[in-house]
Amino acid sequence: MKVFLQRFNVIMHKTTFQSYVVFVLTFTTVLATGCQQQSSPYFGTVKPRHGPQEIWINNSSEPEWLDPGRCSDSTGGEIIWNTFEGLVQAHPATLKPLPAIATHWDISDDGRVYRFYLRPSFWSDGHPLTADDFVFALRRLVDPQTGSKYASNGFIFEKGLAISRGEAAVNSLGVRALDSHTLEIELVDPLPYFLNFLSFYSFMPIPQHLFQNLQERGIDQDLWTRPEHVVCNGAFQMTDWQFRQHMTFEKNIKYWDADSVKLDRVRVAMVESSTTAMNMYVAGEFDWPGGSTSLPAEFMDHLESYKDFHSHPYLGVYFYWINTTKPPLDDPLVRRALSLAIDRDSLVKHVTRGGQIGSSDLVPDGLAGYEGLHLPVYDPAEARRLLAEAGYPAGQGLPEVTLSFNTSEGHKQVAEAIQAMWQQELGIAVELENQEWKVFLANAEQMNFQISRMGWIGDYADPYTFLELLTSDCGNNHSNWSSKTYDALLEQANQHNDPEERLTILRKAEAFALAEQPLIPLYVYTRTQLIKPYVRGIWGNHQDRHPWKYMWIDESFEPGEENSESVNTSRKAIQVHK
Amino acid sequence: MIRLLLRRLLELVPTVLVIVVASFALVRLAPGSPFSSEKEIPAEIRQKLEAKYGFDKPLPEQFIRYIGNLLKGDLGLSTKYPQRTVNEIIANGFPVSLTLAAVALLWSLLVGITAGIIGAIRQNTVWDYTAMTAALVGISVPSFVLGPLLVLVVSLRLHMLPPAGWGDWHHVILPGLTLGTIYAGSIARLMRGGMLDVVRSDFIRTARAKGVTEWVIVWRHMFPTAILPVVSYLGPAIASMLTGSVVVEKIFNVPGIGPYFVDAAFNRDYFLVMGIVLLYAFFLLLLNLVVDVLYGFLDPRVDVS
Repeated sequence: MKVFLQRFNVIMHKTTFQSYVVFVLTFTTVLATGCQQQSSPYFGTVKPRHGPQEIWINNSSEPEWLDPGRCSDSTGGEIIWNTFEGLVQAHPATLKPLPAIATHWDISDDGRVYRFYLRPSFWSDGHPLTADDFVFALRRLVDPQTGSKYASNGFIFEKGLAISRGEAAVNSLGVRALDSHTLEIELVDPLPYFLNFLSFYSFMPIPQHLFQNLQERGIDQDLWTRPEHVVCNGAFQMTDWQFRQHMTFEKNIKYWDADSVKLDRVRVAMVESSTTAMNMYVAGEFDWPGGSTSLPAEFMDHLESYKDFHSHPYLGVYFYWINTTKPPLDDPLVRRALSLAIDRDSLVKHVTRGGQIGSSDLVPDGLAGYEGLHLPVYDPAEARRLLAEAGYPAGQGLPEVTLSFNTSEGHKQVAEAIQAMWQQELGIAVELENQEWKVFLANAEQMNFQISRMGWIGDYADPYTFLELLTSDCGNNHSNWSSKTYDALLEQANQHNDPEERLTILRKAEAFALAEQPLIPLYVYTRTQLIKPYVRGIWGNHQDRHPWKYMWIDESFEPGEENSESVNTSRKAIQVHK
Repeated sequence: MIRLLLRRLLELVPTVLVIVVASFALVRLAPGSPFSSEKEIPAEIRQKLEAKYGFDKPLPEQFIRYIGNLLKGDLGLSTKYPQRTVNEIIANGFPVSLTLAAVALLWSLLVGITAGIIGAIRQNTVWDYTAMTAALVGISVPSFVLGPLLVLVVSLRLHMLPPAGWGDWHHVILPGLTLGTIYAGSIARLMRGGMLDVVRSDFIRTARAKGVTEWVIVWRHMFPTAILPVVSYLGPAIASMLTGSVVVEKIFNVPGIGPYFVDAAFNRDYFLVMGIVLLYAFFLLLLNLVVDVLYGFLDPRVDVS
């Protein structure tokens, strides 16, 4: 060791400081050159690292609940949709309701009572599934004892709201088993979107017999979704759950439609960082980083050129709430001026960069045949005129306005861009204030803000999921704006049984509300996805639902082969209708 | 010696109590609640949720209940992961962070001590400059730069190790190196400083005069004294390695307890925050005690009793 050190020392002593610098620089250059991207049409490896009957995906974070009655987050929803099956299922491309556990149904003339006829089917433990399992699940959803954050989804059922308030008995819910395979559901209003909404994860059946079994064995019933206990009726069944690492699912052979399920195994990891998930995709550790993983915005320009990159519109709107009681924003003219001064096209092109669609409408296009209002997305001249009319020509004399957002690089960039636009177009200096998430939520709840960022993801494909936000008694309405006319219009629309007529009324309501501008819509979300070219059976749809049951690995895929142009990566037509 | 240990252990009790009171008060003072979300939760349902965790009771009562449970070893329920207890969450994540810490510690000691000794015994040579430049880089380059760089080169270009995840030995190397390098830089500088302090001492000159070989001088005579600053540094360093690293565990998706320091606070997951703070405090206090005891063995001038 000593001799070696001495010899090396002699060599190094001869080396001048300059050559040392040259050495370090050369080494760094070699390293950097080695790191340059090789030209491939695909982002990362295109050879599956597992057998053909398996897929590796990401589900971004540890879900709060895998219990359909309690789940309220998309990561839990993703698992529930693939391990449970409700009365209807959503078509993987169009999201139209298709028969699932119910083979067919009747609807009463007033559109309020649905009668579902269930197919004979089984739970994964072989126990027959009956209409009582649905009754049990839906009563449990609204029962205040359950403490479900999504209990409000059950308020569409007769007596749902009263039960959750403890004002009615749980068994008075408008969901009844007429016999073991006939279920009757009575709704409060004739909701035209009911069948679409019914495929939502809150409405899955729950194995009543498992609860009894756990109770007899003295096991905490809250733990029923753990792999050692869980009994399900969907395409896959959980076999392993490593907390905050990964879950493993195997095909459920008792599933009524098991013949159409192609994969034997699904490995779901929980990787929160979008950059880490992207790295794992490049290395082939993910075939699909999953519906709920967004791609890092700074990579967007780079990723767009790859063939395995896909994007599609998503049922979500990014907007700013305005507290309409605090001056100067109590004046609709000022609110409209602020909205018209925002160059939304520039915002989505230069700031958000994920292919979002700039929009001044609250309801995105294409929901159940609803035609959007297509309000002007940018009109600075009109904005200046409105502001002058409100008594603040060129922004002079306008009291201070603060824009709050929850701490995030993305929200900050959007807020800064809009701050600059308002300064430039209207001469208004707006203060920006970022707040930690829970503080932000507390301030929103207490209406302690002037302008506040919000995003809203629709739960079902109907304009009502967005328009409901502005009703007077909606707990999510953070504008302090309420209008009897607006409430009456929505109520009138809900009572209407004719879909066309109903949409016309809803359109009128949206136009009425946006003329008052209690919120400033900015853009419609998009989902960006990386999907390995050998993965088939994933469709882009606006609710980002991608059932694993249709997915498969195409072993015959060769790199260089053209992939289809959109997220529709199915090369063979998949028989969806049974 | 035993008396000292007992006294020091007794002193831990009021310190821990202060930490419990302070963190309980701080976490409750923060605005917001574990159950606030973008979507409004009906008031009745919210009350039920709060009652489940005992948040409906007055704060002093909640505190007494918490202390009572704590004495029984029960750290409470998590609100973010409602099917798990805090004990279960820590039991799940702690062995992971421990494994990562072990690798990081080994790496930082190996590199840090070697570089420090080389720098000192070849002071003001290219050896010294190289070692100290490397140490400076190690200290200055943050883990959120080093981690992704290692992933880029080792995982994505050379395909030698997985970019992230946890499961077997090759998952631990990159996060271990990333975490260890930060500490290695500091250790190298402390080690070099320590060595230079003793290199001109009388006892070293005496040893040289006696004709003791350079190898024996470095390892037998200089090393035990020179390592003392490193030992004091290692107490808090090991405590923070053991309780995981927020950044490294996020980058490599390591399911340890590091991210809870930030996430649990953001989620207002009251009991989980408390559990993690207590765990960290416990290790910090314990390791400082260990360091003090070790001093007695390494430095004859320190009388621990």
